[in-house]
Amino acid sequence: MTDLTTLPGAVPDHRQRSPLHFAWRRFVANKAAVVGGAVLILLILMAVFAPLITKSPPTAQDFLGEALAFPSAGHWFGVDDLGRDFFSRIVYGARVSLSIGFSAAVFSVLIGIPLGALAGYYEGRIDWIVMRIIEIFSVVPPLLAAMLLGALVGGGYWMIIFIAGLFGWVQVCLLVRAQIKAFKEKEFVRAAQALGASPGYIIRRHLIPNSVSPIIVGFVLAIPLAMMLEASLSFLGVGVPPPTPSWGQMINTGMSFMYFYWHLAVFPTLALAVTVMATTLFGDGLRDALDPTLKGK
Amino acid sequence: MIPFILRRLFSVSVTFVIVSILIFTMMHSIPGGPFDAGDMPLPPEVRARLNERYGLDQSLVTQYINYMGGVLRFDFGIPFQSPGETVLELLGRAWVPSLVLGGLGVLIGTPLGILLGIAAALRRNTWIDYLASAVATLGLTIPVFVTSMIMILVFAVWLNWVPASGWGAPDKWILPIAAYATIPMATYARYTRSAMLDTLNKPFVTVLRAKGLSETRIIYQHVLRNSAIPMVTVFLPMFIGTATGSIFVEAIFRVPGLGAYFVSSIRTRDYPLEMALMLMLTVMFCLAYLISDILYAWLNPRIRAGGRKG
Repeated sequence: MTDLTTLPGAVPDHRQRSPLHFAWRRFVANKAAVVGGAVLILLILMAVFAPLITKSPPTAQDFLGEALAFPSAGHWFGVDDLGRDFFSRIVYGARVSLSIGFSAAVFSVLIGIPLGALAGYYEGRIDWIVMRIIEIFSVVPPLLAAMLLGALVGGGYWMIIFIAGLFGWVQVCLLVRAQIKAFKEKEFVRAAQALGASPGYIIRRHLIPNSVSPIIVGFVLAIPLAMMLEASLSFLGVGVPPPTPSWGQMINTGMSFMYFYWHLAVFPTLALAVTVMATTLFGDGLRDALDPTLKGK
Repeated sequence: MIPFILRRLFSVSVTFVIVSILIFTMMHSIPGGPFDAGDMPLPPEVRARLNERYGLDQSLVTQYINYMGGVLRFDFGIPFQSPGETVLELLGRAWVPSLVLGGLGVLIGTPLGILLGIAAALRRNTWIDYLASAVATLGLTIPVFVTSMIMILVFAVWLNWVPASGWGAPDKWILPIAAYATIPMATYARYTRSAMLDTLNKPFVTVLRAKGLSETRIIYQHVLRNSAIPMVTVFLPMFIGTATGSIFVEAIFRVPGLGAYFVSSIRTRDYPLEMALMLMLTVMFCLAYLISDILYAWLNPRIRAGGRKG
């Protein structure tokens, strides 16, 4: 808070506080969200610096002699059935999971914003069409459609991002639509219209900047959904193909070994659970902080 | 009310037709067919005859019209992977374990979730509130196959209380149903808690308190009833939604239900079975949303008066 925000003559104690300040205070008060955010940052750092904290590349079969070894000081998470250091696999798995989560969320936002803006601003027929498209996406179970699409284009990393984005935009779109619907009757929009601004200009310069908080919320909440979809598809064997390390894939392999080699099932399961959970808690906290009226929805 | 239902029925039918066309096109655009040389080393004449027998040599439009025509007469064709029966017979056979699993899971999970949600809303910021939040967050964020794995590891592998997989005897039902029940339980714990809190903060509750009504009567006669709307409307979509979750639960616990056919029909290009499964789920989702909308309008007269849902 600088002096610039203090009105001349005002009591110095009563400083002007920005909405962002209150959002930050609400966020910090939410312990679960703070912990979630911290864990998420830690996971991102792990994913970024993966080569520095692991002893071997995730696909290198450096320890064939010790295949299926239990966790030890040398191999924190043990060694998998193909002689790969399991800790490396899990850490590199975070790269796959997080990068797919973030890219798919970007993709969701890119589809969701324009459609939500159009539907919210024009209403009427355009709104009807957008809502029917959303209805189509809501009656088709994403997982099955993703399996079909995956079979159609052959699966793979980019395909998962595309599919997750394709099914992730609905929430962003609905949030943006609701926000724009609420804002387009406000005086400043009326004023812009009266000054002759085109709808495109109003949407770009006035309405979308005013929808930043639902967009951020939609973005963050799309991440865990995408990560879950990737894990589910990889678990079913139609997702990221081996040898790329994916937690869903590892859980599937771990299942066959779980009676005798528990570590192959436990670590990817925990990794996925912790990551999805941290991201969701962070997103929920962000939503409650940025827009208290949405709380619990 | 009637025009409202008719309008919704119309838009749902349009959605259904579009979805069926989309799925049919996607399904047939997947490279390869059910009688390809890779899976079935057949002489070309035999393959041609098989394709002709199942109408696969016709144009996509003709095939679609023929198939949907059959669907209207409840004829879903013959599954390529088990030609001895019709798709309907196969579904009828595989449906039973899925229904037992899903039905019992929802029947057990829903009341537990509602109770947890009510307790959490009435005792805010106590251990039960935190428990409810934990259950809701864990249940909604952790994929069901992860929950299932953890349950197998803890209760079957380490504690050795129940068998890990299979379906024959009722003791084998415990784990899959418990894993399945976590979804409705989490959903309902969350919805009930937030709906109850919403209602508890309404002015009319304050008025009731000011009038001196006992807290029990306020909760049971007024708050619960007013919180019921979102709880009723979320039920059907959630119930159908668990059907996709069943793919994982069934795969992990080796339950001989519908789940496996979702994957295998796509893998083997079993068009009639795949289409039937997809259409079935789509119809159920459409109906679930339609019924939910109608229930919502019926329970909440303000929507009915407005006519249109935003």
